[in-house]
Amino acid sequence: MNTLDIAAPQLAVLYGLCLLPLGVLWLVGLRLGRDIFIGVVRMSVQLALVGFYLKTLFTLNNPWLNALWILVMLVVADLSIIQRAGLRARFFALSTLVAVTVSTLLSTFYLVVLVIRPELFYDARYLVPLAGMVLGNCQQGNVIALERFYAALRRNELEYQTFLLLGASRWEAVLPYYRTAVKAAISPTLANMTTMGLVSLPGMMTGQILGGSEPWLAVKYQIAIMVGIFASTTLACAINLRLSMRMAFNGYDVLKGEVFAGK
Amino acid sequence: MATSPAALTPLMPAIIRFSHVTVSVPDKTLLHDVSFTVNTGDKAVLCGKSGSGKSTVLKTLLGLLPVQEGVIEFQGQPLNVATLALIRRHTAYIGQEPVLGAETVHEALLLPFRFKAHRDALPSPARLEEVLARLGLSPALLAQDCARVSGGEKQRLALARGLLLGKSVYLLDEVTSALDEDSKQAVFAVFADPALTVLSVAHDPDWLACCTKMWQMADGCLSEVSHEYA
Repeated sequence: MNTLDIAAPQLAVLYGLCLLPLGVLWLVGLRLGRDIFIGVVRMSVQLALVGFYLKTLFTLNNPWLNALWILVMLVVADLSIIQRAGLRARFFALSTLVAVTVSTLLSTFYLVVLVIRPELFYDARYLVPLAGMVLGNCQQGNVIALERFYAALRRNELEYQTFLLLGASRWEAVLPYYRTAVKAAISPTLANMTTMGLVSLPGMMTGQILGGSEPWLAVKYQIAIMVGIFASTTLACAINLRLSMRMAFNGYDVLKGEVFAGK
Repeated sequence: MATSPAALTPLMPAIIRFSHVTVSVPDKTLLHDVSFTVNTGDKAVLCGKSGSGKSTVLKTLLGLLPVQEGVIEFQGQPLNVATLALIRRHTAYIGQEPVLGAETVHEALLLPFRFKAHRDALPSPARLEEVLARLGLSPALLAQDCARVSGGEKQRLALARGLLLGKSVYLLDEVTSALDEDSKQAVFAVFADPALTVLSVAHDPDWLACCTKMWQMADGCLSEVSHEYA
């Protein structure tokens, strides 16, 4: 079954749909025309570039080129996580990169090598989209984990110090905040899994169905990716927070004030 | 100027010694060239206006603030990353608004025994009640929610945790500030024990009268020894 192409005139019609929200926003006094224009243009250009790049990637199907692309995604995700968590890269860039890389690669290769099993394990058609989806969700989880953990430590400094002075090791003293942060980070994925198919049809599954796949096949891929996302997000958050503590505290177990951006 | 540690001839071994300690944070010097000695069994107090650096002395001893110059010694060993555990093991810090860190008073008292360092020393229910009684607290308090505990009760519960842990050195920051007369007397009775060493921050005249050493602080400097009964 072939997917119907969206030709250039239809693309123009598609952008016309933006006029509706633009008009509604204008009516309620929100002058967001410039922001909407920039958002739509950026999305289109970025996706066009990715489309071009992926086409090349799939055609060449070179393991080194695929690895390089994944590395670029990991580094961009790393820096984005730290910035969005309101922290300083010099303290957290390495720990976040290690945690995200280990968990993303573990989940992705588990899916590709043990579950999907393509002829070439580095086949870009499987490896790159799966790594991208796993990493994208992992990124969101790590932003929440880091932000919650360090904000809680700053907010509860007195309580944390009390635990230390009552004989807790650094790890024992941070454990309540660690558990809360990891739980908060994986909650959206868990909630998503719980309501999947009832509240929303997941994007990847819809995409596959539109692309001509059998619904059952699409469902199986969706289950695979959700399990991969859940595993990688949980692993990455748990590892990341643990590793990040090495740089965030001084030898006396005091949280360094300079870890927070804007301080 | 502070008393030179060398000028003191302690009858008991020095347990806390500050030698020319300076503590700064960006843009501010919190302690400047502070020197003093607290011997085993001393009941010492730091007096002075708010912001003079009294509480900073206690926090610095616990490693919560960085020392720029000078040396802090605890039981003859310099404060550093390696000896920090020793200091925290022997020392109880009780602030004006202690954090109980648990839902109920019972859980709060047993909180330190959840940590590996004290896991093998879980006190018996009888010991809990005995310590509460020493501090003038009713055993019925054990079932109470920590959110409903008064400031004075919190201070005594924090003190009770120190006693349950067998701490020998107490760093007390305005520990009688929220106590009524009877509760104060109970606390004074606890610290009458010559085995307990106290370094405190206080304004309360009753507390000052119980102390054996007193220093005045102003603008981060330890200005004088007001009295010493040792």
